[in-house]
Amino acid sequence: MAFKDNRQFIEALERTGDIVRIKQEVDWELEAAAIARRSNEMQGPACLFEKIKDYPEGFGIFSGGIASYRRLAIALGLSPDIPVRDMFAEYERREQHPIKPVVVKDGPCKENVMLGDDVDVFQFPAPLIHDGDGGRYLGTWDIVINQDPDSDWTNWGTYRFMLHTRRALVGQPLPLSHLAMLLTEKYVPANKPMPVAVVTGADQLSTLVGGAGYRIGESEADFAGALAQEPIELIKCETSDLLVPAHAEIVIEGEVIPRVTQMEGPFGEYTGYRSRPGGDGVICQVKAITYRNSPMITMVSLGTPIDEAGVSGGITMAMAYKRRLKKLGLPITDVSLPLEGACHVVVVGVTKGGNEIAQQVRDALTSRRVPITKIIVVDQDIDVFNFGEVLHAVGTRCHSVRGVMIKEHPGRGNPLTPCYSTEERAHGLGATALLDCTYPLDWPENDLPVKSSFNTIYPESIRQKVTENWQRYGFK
Amino acid sequence: MKKEYVTWLVRDEQLMEEQELELTIRDLTPGREKYTGLNVKAILSSSPDKLPDGDILWIRSGTGVLHPQPWAIKITGDLGEFLSRSPFNYADLLAK
Repeated sequence: MAFKDNRQFIEALERTGDIVRIKQEVDWELEAAAIARRSNEMQGPACLFEKIKDYPEGFGIFSGGIASYRRLAIALGLSPDIPVRDMFAEYERREQHPIKPVVVKDGPCKENVMLGDDVDVFQFPAPLIHDGDGGRYLGTWDIVINQDPDSDWTNWGTYRFMLHTRRALVGQPLPLSHLAMLLTEKYVPANKPMPVAVVTGADQLSTLVGGAGYRIGESEADFAGALAQEPIELIKCETSDLLVPAHAEIVIEGEVIPRVTQMEGPFGEYTGYRSRPGGDGVICQVKAITYRNSPMITMVSLGTPIDEAGVSGGITMAMAYKRRLKKLGLPITDVSLPLEGACHVVVVGVTKGGNEIAQQVRDALTSRRVPITKIIVVDQDIDVFNFGEVLHAVGTRCHSVRGVMIKEHPGRGNPLTPCYSTEERAHGLGATALLDCTYPLDWPENDLPVKSSFNTIYPESIRQKVTENWQRYGFK
Repeated sequence: MKKEYVTWLVRDEQLMEEQELELTIRDLTPGREKYTGLNVKAILSSSPDKLPDGDILWIRSGTGVLHPQPWAIKITGDLGEFLSRSPFNYADLLAK
């Protein structure tokens, strides 16, 4: 069952005990985000803030929607207790069947319309998320929508946008992002402003795919439909032809003006650090705002793991990497990004290992942008979703000389990665360490160390006997 | 009642005193419009005595670390809502 909006999803979270409704007034300035952050760090529930200082009753903030794999399972209509491996398999199955969205004439996001001189982004309780951030972010767990003027490709991306003035947001899409690419290649040469919509409070699956790494020309709305197993309902903007999720809470319609800028940031990012100074951002000059009655901003209180960004990156990056590796015919079993690695560590299981295969995996994962810093390749007996097993393999099977391979990726590094110097970030310099935890292929089979785990070192008859008698031995 | 503002510095050399400079500040007046952005010409001083008619300016480093003592700021001009330069080096991006 798919949830058309966050309101239905919140009801589902209430049924499973995965959300706290906070009726006490909280301050949009740090307090709401601090509560959400603490809950994230305690692996606690999602938060719905129902009364925000300075704002009318009903103007809320919803945070932590899918800040755990449990709640992502709920969003996907699966059992909250489904094993992560099974959820990944179901996600992968659904993603292979994109469903085109449908366009509707009316939708909840049009319940209120702000136009012309009435436009004022400060009418919404955009939070100040971290002490020292460069401003109040209306767009964190958002979808930013823009259109290729020469094709039917609509791009959705998750880009941060903060309040600047009543009628202007300023954001920080990276120069190599699809948004920046469309702006640079299609609108700047024509000296035209680029229509955009900044959507906060769309359903969780639409927002999730907004941050996923689909290819140029692939429309995220089709994949949101795939995950929901039904078409996403879209509706036309008031001031442009862009189509936005009809059940979203707030839609900011505007234009990116190519030749002006404004200081944006700094901002505590998904890496768990505020590592990069503020800089010149992209201006979205706001022309209209449409919103639901009692609108809720969706906020991710980004920081150290685990939060929505880690969960969404954890699954969407794993899927994108798996697609890429399988397309190249590499002998992989599965791909995971341990949530604690803040989307910087990827684990790849292979049916056939060895240095050469491990390097082919590394080269495939680093052929484009390189947001990761560590690539761990393990044999198929290691469960890539069990980081305890993975760490055991890193410690015991990765040779510290021939198993560790460093490679630089000039121009493709992640400017948000905290271990890079200011100079490295400015020039997009980056590097990966490949940790090959597979046994060399030329080792004789009889020389391979025998793994001493319950499932590998005992005969089937003993395992069966032990399992069957477990409670009789006195275990509970 | 003095107004309060905050600014984020990208480089320390921006901290020049007693000469007019251009900077982006955010208005800390409590209420819904707190953190509205302003591009201004202003004179700064690390000692409020030297700008008795100035307001209060809190200073943060590029990554948001707060300097312990605020400076004084006297706004001398408005530079408009946006800064007239491109957010990206388009020529460089197109070349890639």
